[in-house]
Amino acid sequence: MRRILAIAWLHLKELFKSPGTLVMMFILPGLFGWIFGGISIESGQTKPVIDVVMNEEEHSTEIFNLLKQNEHYQWNKATLKEAKEHVEEQDTVAAVVIPTDIQQKVVENQPLLDVILRSKTEDYLALEPHLQGTANLIIRIHHTVEESNSTTLPDMLEAAATSKGVAIEKQTIQKDGNNPVEMNLMFVGFAIMFMMFGLSGAASTILDERIGGTWGRLMVTPASKLQISLGYLIAYFLMGWIQFSVLMIAMNLLFETTWGNLTYMIPFASLVILCVVGFGLMIAGMVKTKQQAGAIGAVLIVSTCMLGGVYWSIDLVPEFMQKISLAVPQSWAMSGFKEIISGSLHPATLIKDTLALLGFTAGFFLIAIRGITFK
Amino acid sequence: MNILNVQELGKSFGKFEAVKGVSFSVEKGESFSLLGPNGAGKSTTINMITGLYPPTSGSIQITGVDVIKNPKQAQKSIGVVPQEIALYETLSARENLKFWGRMYDLSGNALEKVVDEVLEIIGLTDRAKDKVSTFSGGMKRRVNIGAAILHKPEVLIMDEPTVGIDPQSRNHILETVKRLNNEGMTIIYTSHYMEEVEYLCERIGIIDHGELIACGTLRELRESIGDRSRIIISLDNEGSHHLEISSLLEGLAVEKDILIKDKLLTVFHKEPQAILSELIQLVTKDGTKITSVEIVEPNLESVFLHLTGRSLRN
Ligand SMILES: Nc1ncnc2c1ncn2[C@@H]1O[C@H](COP(=O)(O)OP(=O)(O)OP(=O)(O)O)[C@@H](O)[C@H]1O
Ligand SMILES: [Mg+2]
Repeated sequence: MRRILAIAWLHLKELFKSPGTLVMMFILPGLFGWIFGGISIESGQTKPVIDVVMNEEEHSTEIFNLLKQNEHYQWNKATLKEAKEHVEEQDTVAAVVIPTDIQQKVVENQPLLDVILRSKTEDYLALEPHLQGTANLIIRIHHTVEESNSTTLPDMLEAAATSKGVAIEKQTIQKDGNNPVEMNLMFVGFAIMFMMFGLSGAASTILDERIGGTWGRLMVTPASKLQISLGYLIAYFLMGWIQFSVLMIAMNLLFETTWGNLTYMIPFASLVILCVVGFGLMIAGMVKTKQQAGAIGAVLIVSTCMLGGVYWSIDLVPEFMQKISLAVPQSWAMSGFKEIISGSLHPATLIKDTLALLGFTAGFFLIAIRGITFK
Repeated sequence: MNILNVQELGKSFGKFEAVKGVSFSVEKGESFSLLGPNGAGKSTTINMITGLYPPTSGSIQITGVDVIKNPKQAQKSIGVVPQEIALYETLSARENLKFWGRMYDLSGNALEKVVDEVLEIIGLTDRAKDKVSTFSGGMKRRVNIGAAILHKPEVLIMDEPTVGIDPQSRNHILETVKRLNNEGMTIIYTSHYMEEVEYLCERIGIIDHGELIACGTLRELRESIGDRSRIIISLDNEGSHHLEISSLLEGLAVEKDILIKDKLLTVFHKEPQAILSELIQLVTKDGTKITSVEIVEPNLESVFLHLTGRSLRN
């Protein structure tokens, strides 16, 4: 046991003393995550803007609150003049004018809300149903007020704005939950890719060790082959975990991302890391020099990451590509991570992903062991 | 008692036979050397003895343990200094020594203590904290040896431990090895420098083309060439003196005792002074010019030359 730990510790120490590996493992992926994360956060934050032209009447505030319930848009209060300018300069999608004589309009069945826009953009088309719905709500509430006469229109509107039963709210939650999952998956994808680079780089030092003689020296110490293999394995596995957790924590601090239920996340990530270690060792077992390992590794990693949906969601590619993606481990890893991060934790999917990854891991290690011992 | 027994050891790489049925044995406390030119099969033999390569044929016992059947058991009692500098260059000398010590089950205070001792022995106490990559070739070689003696092995096996270093480091290493041997450690040493071997080793095996062509003490090996000195005459052309010199030496030597190669005439003779002037006359008779004359006392180079017709160095 001591020997195993000594070997593992030695290689971890070596790793942290090699600047190249550190750059590959932490700096590059950090940079990637920061840039791409920044982009998606930015685009997430620039919600389309709608101006709302208010008036002095009490109901206008309540209607504004009703409109504001749709969080896909940013609702700003503005004067009519400002609103017109913004529309003209395309700073806003549209401007909604709340009429002063709303009661009269309802009675006379006139259009309730005036909308100012330059053209019917997609954003506006998406907005239209919401405006329609809001208008309908106002009319219905108005009728109720007429009948009961017990409450005033503004009170009722307020009640509607704060009530939870409005259909819009549900929709909002769903969409809200979706975007961060995509973004978190993107970070996980980066982490996987750079882990593959980092660990295949680390594993290929075995080739240097063969040439340098430390491998041979290790073989003629009383340390058994099993102890030596376990030592290396633990070292690479820990390297993988250190890299993965550092990246995940960094992304968490930078972008407040979440990683789902850790009771699922930790074992699943462990399996993925083990699979990546197997991949790195397999490459080391297939080639003769570290340079070859670097070249072949890069080609294999980038292409399989593309196929496996690390750079973009696998749902976006044609069906036959989706079929091909099943042949690379990343697709299963991403699928599993998606289940865990989104919180849906669909058991059948998770089990399938786990089994597939176990299969890949076993295959990689078999090829690695053959390659490394038969040379 | 024999601490090492090697019988009919053979190793082929594909069709190429690198070692062909080598047998020898080493007694406890002895220092034994394998001497041979580049590619003779020294490392291959050593690597089989240490359990790194499985032999194609033959058997090896170290301290009575069968190396082929039970390598991990045998490896506990040996220290191995590989021909390469087998160290982790990004780590310090101390870290390297500690790591290799742990592989031999040393730990804690005992480990710290032997690491200090070994650093003292190899003369690197004040550089212990520096990365090995910053060391000179000689210093690396010393750490390379240090890593093999931490666990005080019964047998220290060294494969050309002084290759490519300055004379000072070499002397330091040779003295260290001699001291370890005097303290009772059995030494197995390979080299293609006969001076080292003559200084260090009681018994010597000469290996060439994978075969052990001679084996014995220095005295025995010298006697095998009749304790004859060598007369080495450099010529300005190769001439055709072979037969005449043979007749001069008639009764004293056979044809094998005269070599002409690369404008060098080598004659083995017991009393070089007695025949020197006659020899020079013979050689210069046809106008051949002599550029230098040297008389060399019988040594291992002579033995090797006599056995193979080639010099050790190439
Ligand atoms: N792994 C190998 N595969 C194929 N041939 C090998 C291998 N190792 C050694 N040889 C060959 O076996 C022969 C003996 O090599 P070896 O390394 O034992 O020589 P050596 O006496 O140690 O030489 P040197 O003084 O250069 O170290 C050489 O011809 C070498 O090319
Ligand atoms: Mg050698």
